[in-house]
Amino acid sequence: MNRVFVTGMGIISAIGNSVAENHLALKEGKSGISKNLYLFPTKYASILPFAQVGISTNELSSKLKIFEKGVTRTSMLALHAFNEAVEDAGLSASIISAYGTALIGASTVGGMCLTDELYEDANKCEQGSDYTQSYDCASVCLFLQQRYKMNGIINTINTACSSAANAIMYGAMLIKNGFADRAIVGGADSLAKFTINGFNALHILSPETCTPFDENRKGLNLGEGAAFLVLEKEKDAAGKKIYAELTGYCNANDAYHPSSLSEQGDGPFFSMQGALQLAGLAAADINFINAHGTGTENNDEVESRAMIRLFNNPPAFASSKANVGHTLGAAGAVEAVFSILSLYYQELYANLYYNNAIPSTGLVPVQVYKKMPVQHVMSNSFGFGGNCSSLIFSKA
Amino acid sequence: MMYIQHFNCISPQQNVLSNDMDLLNDASEKKMQAKEPVYESIPPGVLRRMGKAIRMGVGTALPICKAPALLNGIIIGTANGGMEDCIKFLNQMVQYEEGLLAPGNFVQSTNNAIAGQLGLLTENKKYNITHVSRGLAFENALMDAMMQLNENPTGSYLLGGVDELSTYNYNIEKLAGTYKEEAVSIKNLYTTDSPGCIAGEGAAMFVVSNDAAGAIVKAEAIGTLHSNDEKEVKGKLKKFLDENLCDDDKIDLFLSGENGDNRSLKYYTACESLLNSNTTVGRFKHLCGEYPTASAFALWLCCELLQTQKIPHHIIKKKSTEKEINNVLLYNNYKGYQHGFMLIKNCR
Repeated sequence: MNRVFVTGMGIISAIGNSVAENHLALKEGKSGISKNLYLFPTKYASILPFAQVGISTNELSSKLKIFEKGVTRTSMLALHAFNEAVEDAGLSASIISAYGTALIGASTVGGMCLTDELYEDANKCEQGSDYTQSYDCASVCLFLQQRYKMNGIINTINTACSSAANAIMYGAMLIKNGFADRAIVGGADSLAKFTINGFNALHILSPETCTPFDENRKGLNLGEGAAFLVLEKEKDAAGKKIYAELTGYCNANDAYHPSSLSEQGDGPFFSMQGALQLAGLAAADINFINAHGTGTENNDEVESRAMIRLFNNPPAFASSKANVGHTLGAAGAVEAVFSILSLYYQELYANLYYNNAIPSTGLVPVQVYKKMPVQHVMSNSFGFGGNCSSLIFSKA
Repeated sequence: MMYIQHFNCISPQQNVLSNDMDLLNDASEKKMQAKEPVYESIPPGVLRRMGKAIRMGVGTALPICKAPALLNGIIIGTANGGMEDCIKFLNQMVQYEEGLLAPGNFVQSTNNAIAGQLGLLTENKKYNITHVSRGLAFENALMDAMMQLNENPTGSYLLGGVDELSTYNYNIEKLAGTYKEEAVSIKNLYTTDSPGCIAGEGAAMFVVSNDAAGAIVKAEAIGTLHSNDEKEVKGKLKKFLDENLCDDDKIDLFLSGENGDNRSLKYYTACESLLNSNTTVGRFKHLCGEYPTASAFALWLCCELLQTQKIPHHIIKKKSTEKEINNVLLYNNYKGYQHGFMLIKNCR
């Protein structure tokens, strides 16, 4: 089977509009979380903190030269990151539209960021808005497909907060199985009144900036963003800039509860273990874990327990959720970019706002930026529905 | 390539194999709604909280999961998941002005809730994924199953396609001009020359593996394309057949997703024109209506037809003289833009 390499990356998040800006912000320990949501009216705009991308939807639209109707913010964020990734990998327009180029995206919000329009269109049979064909999660990739006239396999995955990790995994499988020569993989989600109220109803939104893995963590902050990777097989990657090799991945299910993880963390344990097995690595080979670390009571404790169960003495680990918030369907791709930056630049970024260890586990995340040899990085993404996925990127 | 060991379906019909069209359920109020059975396999307390898509998906899957914990994964295609729960939650949010809401509908509304619930109820902790690529969600799920079996040749997987028809997605699609303005009986679906289709829904589930023993059907190959150019679609289908059908092999049945929408007829006509008089042409949308994962229903129907070796009259558009059905080509398109081809073989 083919080996799979990352030859291009693109990202837009609350801490920057490019890979370079995100890299700098991570090194500086910058957080993009604040209480001044300006994107749409919601009663939580100044009550709860959010991590929003610092470009308005109108600005994005004109910057990206989007003239057609019905394009949502989620699709615009996706296009922004997609453009950067394909340019970075040097993919020409004809390569992007070739039969062998797959596009695998991930989203959980899709066009539902337009909550008010959706409400009108779903309930009142009067006059349709411009967005009747843009609410579903698939609308994001279909927009990119049309924009670039792509002819290869186009797919969208929604496994809640692990969606983008599964999109990356699926793209790699397409290449390994000969269904695609290369795959552009990633995810996008924008902030939405729908998800804000959904997570609020579950009582897992923190009233302050989140503090992953801290004893007194109070929940997560929702964020928005998009990230894409270009995956290519060994033959095509030769001679190009190679960021990393995707050596391991695994998707497992916790099969415990629709919206929380089991105490023993079977899902996280099996996904991390399976990724190691596929990569042919021992637990001790992993130098750093980019943890899911949402900052909720449940996730951080269970993830810690699963790390201890698998690694005994877990390696260095950190969560970037206090930098960019929880970007849901984009998180797996956003964090894949961060994991790859760690590998590429041989450095670790700080888990912000951590003070004291969770008493039952005693695990301490990376607290300051540091240079360090990094050969293999594991990135975790866990979601509702028990959907857990882990990826391993290795130095190429 | 993979074998289908078990298959099950919930659709608007209960008698698809009957030759008597009067035994078919017709559209009612321009919709074809699934005839849901009594869900004996789902615990009542759990069933009460389930939205229709989850109920149909789980209710279709459980009866064919003989040893569910032994399955190596659950692979679901659904464009919309729990659409009704989604809008119910949205409506509460508006009604209570973003006050404190019950999270039930929100949790049930996520696309991955069907696969998640199946994992939970069958205690299956393995591969679990939900493909949501609209009109190709099931095709992508099927391709996923093929790849999983390639990487894990001794495994078996639950594969399914589910979409519900709620008042809300009906309203949205109606505004988008997806459905016919006029009420049409399924008896006239293919002869009313007007834009739009009839709304449908359903769930179809399959247990798949590389094991030919006991299997009736082999899913040989899958191909997909995004295009609104019928020549391109025809070209892609030709290439698909050249690559996957041996020289001395032929298609016995072309199962077409024709849906009565005169805007998308040209794609079906173009594909049909690739086949000769040895091929019987059949249609299925009068049975299930139109929805993004209707191709899962078509695959289930294909399994039934191969098993019985009989094609009911109402399905046949054009009959060939051939008696035996061995190779079936299934072609479906969603809104004239997303195209999927499946080559299905009889393996008994």
